[in-house]
Amino acid sequence: MVLNKIFKSTVIVLFACLVLTACATKKKVETGSEMEGDVYTGKDTVGYLADGVPDRVFFATNESALTSASRETLRLQSEWLRANSNITVVLEGHADERGTREYNLALGDRRANAAKDYLMTFGISADRISVISYGKERPVDSASTPLSWSKNRRAVTVKAN
Amino acid sequence: MKKYLKKISLILFFLFLPFKAFAFIEIDITRGNLDPFPVAVSPLSIDDNSKINFENILSVENIGSEISIIVENNLRASGIFNPLNKDAFLQAPEIAHLKPRFEDWNLIKAQALITGKITYDEGKLRVEFRLWDVLAGKEILALAFTTFPNNWRRVGHIISDKVYERLTGEKGYFDTRIIYVAEEGPKTQRVKKLAIMDQDGFNNKFLTLGNELVLTPRFNPTSQMVTYLSYFKNLPRVYLLDIATGTQEVVGDFPGMTFAPRFSPDGKKIIMSFAKDGQSDIYIMDLENRIVERITNHPSIDTSPSFSPDGKYITFNSDRSGYQQIYVMDSDGNNVKRISFGDGLYGTPVWSPRGDLIAFTKLHEGSFYIGVMRPDGSGERLLTENFYQEAPSWSPNGRILIFYRETKTDQEGDGFSAKLWSIDLTGYNERLIKTETDASDPSWSSLLSN
Amino acid sequence: MNKNIIISSFLHFSMIIITTMSLPFLTKKTNDFPPIISVELIQISEKTNIPFAPKEKKIVEKIKEEQKKLVSEQAPPKQIKKEKPDAVPMPEEKIKKVEKIKDDKQNPEKIDNEVKQVSEFEKKELFDPNSIAALIDKSKKDTAEIIDNNDKKITQDQDKNLGNVGLSLSEEDALKAQIFGCWSIPLGLPYNEDLMVRIKLELEPDGSVVKSEILDHARMNKPGQNFYKVLAESALRAIKLCEPLKVPATGYERWKELQLNFDASEMLEG
Repeated sequence: MVLNKIFKSTVIVLFACLVLTACATKKKVETGSEMEGDVYTGKDTVGYLADGVPDRVFFATNESALTSASRETLRLQSEWLRANSNITVVLEGHADERGTREYNLALGDRRANAAKDYLMTFGISADRISVISYGKERPVDSASTPLSWSKNRRAVTVKAN
Repeated sequence: MKKYLKKISLILFFLFLPFKAFAFIEIDITRGNLDPFPVAVSPLSIDDNSKINFENILSVENIGSEISIIVENNLRASGIFNPLNKDAFLQAPEIAHLKPRFEDWNLIKAQALITGKITYDEGKLRVEFRLWDVLAGKEILALAFTTFPNNWRRVGHIISDKVYERLTGEKGYFDTRIIYVAEEGPKTQRVKKLAIMDQDGFNNKFLTLGNELVLTPRFNPTSQMVTYLSYFKNLPRVYLLDIATGTQEVVGDFPGMTFAPRFSPDGKKIIMSFAKDGQSDIYIMDLENRIVERITNHPSIDTSPSFSPDGKYITFNSDRSGYQQIYVMDSDGNNVKRISFGDGLYGTPVWSPRGDLIAFTKLHEGSFYIGVMRPDGSGERLLTENFYQEAPSWSPNGRILIFYRETKTDQEGDGFSAKLWSIDLTGYNERLIKTETDASDPSWSSLLSN
Repeated sequence: MNKNIIISSFLHFSMIIITTMSLPFLTKKTNDFPPIISVELIQISEKTNIPFAPKEKKIVEKIKEEQKKLVSEQAPPKQIKKEKPDAVPMPEEKIKKVEKIKDDKQNPEKIDNEVKQVSEFEKKELFDPNSIAALIDKSKKDTAEIIDNNDKKITQDQDKNLGNVGLSLSEEDALKAQIFGCWSIPLGLPYNEDLMVRIKLELEPDGSVVKSEILDHARMNKPGQNFYKVLAESALRAIKLCEPLKVPATGYERWKELQLNFDASEMLEG
């Protein structure tokens, strides 16, 4: 009787492990739930300036408009910046690879400036924020899939000091 | 007697009048073949003394044969010629150069023959070559010139250009160089260097070390200077590089990112984009007096400017209509006109040195195209389609476009490569251009000789 | 007295000759041949393969697809564009053409050949539905349509030259096909230039060339006319390569002087 129980529980545990490992690999498969429209909404590749303060916002293809999620992230960033008034940041603008190189440099610049302008509406001074565009030169995800591209369309706030 | 003559001449006059009008059957020949033109390139003849001298100076064995191989490869690469196999040649180079036996060359189906002679003359290299029309049985081109032995590869390119011009009516493009970005490393952290090479891939040299990102290099009209974008000290700015000395200098004193630079046709100005507060506009800076002129002033992105060869107009890329399109304006910024109207996004417009066409990149339904259109926007033709390709640059004779392609990467980010490709204006002859490393952003020089 | 008779009779004689020589030309000229349903009777001996630059065709087709235009294969509109003075086809006279083929009894043997080959081709060749639909009109049961797989434009060529006199359709086609095969069109030519070279030939009965002359010779050495020179040289090479030309077996008088108009525009208009 006991053996049976042990046997059953081992089987259940084993089965559970298998299920879990299967789940683990699932992470790489595109679920589509990590994108809203064209904008990446997931957590992969996102860094944190401080607890609960994501360091980046994402954009739709060819767009530099901020989504409400982006605005919330920037609001959190502005709070953190106000709390740490000696910190200066660089806003890096990036684009995905599905565009011409020169235009993407300009688009990255536009995205970075969109984020910077929004931060400034919270009273952050312009000389605390510098802007640089990398166009499509520094992707964070090198695969050629729509999900990867969405992760690359970003404006990242980086501590400068 | 006089009367007689008069009558006869009258008769003859009337006799020949109708004959002239009705004599010939006319047949229209409207088709032919577009097969490559069979040409025989004989090794250049060289005397033993000269041969030894060149071997010592250049470490090149058999320079006469090597030069003919350069000519052969150039002509073959153009897609227009078919250089025949040397093993079938019956006449020795020395004899062929003096008096070819055309029947022999006709036998192997050559329609043209190139012969030459090369000599070591007081430290210099002297070449003479001849182009023969085998079917007509006569010489149709003969040239001689002298140069430094180090230029021996250019000798092959110059001969190729002269032959090409004589047989097609077009100027050649073989004595040229290509500047490009040599790249290596993972896609997320590419190491990029400026590199320059002969158009046939030889004499490759790196011009920067790879410590900072470099992008979109372009030659000036004399092909001695290069303008490009560099992220030196993490400040993306347009720079000038002197190829001979290697010195670099930043162009102007802009408080923000400048990019997408090109030279004006007279080489005296640089046209580029300047990004300020999210708005990218086109500016021109005079290299002599350093005066900067703003050309566009629009909240949109204006970039990738390119002058027409007469310097009167500028074509550029703008998203002022909502999406990337191609525009043409006067060189002072007036009369902006949109010229691209097809489905999709248009970018990287570049004006042909012949002035007749503007080449561009088009993105439509997930595919990238390289195409051309007339400066008024009509006659759009797409030459090639690919997963990713862009940034065409014209050969100096306005016939060939060089551009680059990137491959798709898989989920793990593997399988990425970037390579240079070229294609003829007719859509023919798409070729991979071999480079030691991955390559992108190619730009073609002008003809080095004249 | 005698002298005058001689002169008078000479004059009369020459007048007669002039009229007899010119009249046939006059009457035949009014018989304008309409755009023909392409009866490709080129082969007297072997199958002609008239190549069409495949890449050009691909691009042309791609653009056609993209622009979603149905290119009409009907010859008449294209005809108007080319505007050749001596061949003005009239659509109404299509019927006349059919009858003309039937009536052509110059060489009975030839007609049998034509009929035989027509049926052979019907078996072998692929039909292009577009062309057939466009060109097969009311009563064309006797003339079959043979279209080379690679080439949709051959119809046009046939059409233009029906105004020519002297060579029958098959004779002309034989010669044309031969020269098509020999002419290497220089690929470097721009397609917005005037790309026509006219060459006058004097021939021997066996088809070898006695004399060739480029009409418009002055253009060869004009500055800026490099293309013309290159084109003319390619035409001369084509003739040289093709010697002896495929001339008809009979009627030397008709074709001993020939003018070939080399026109590269069709091939190069990508």
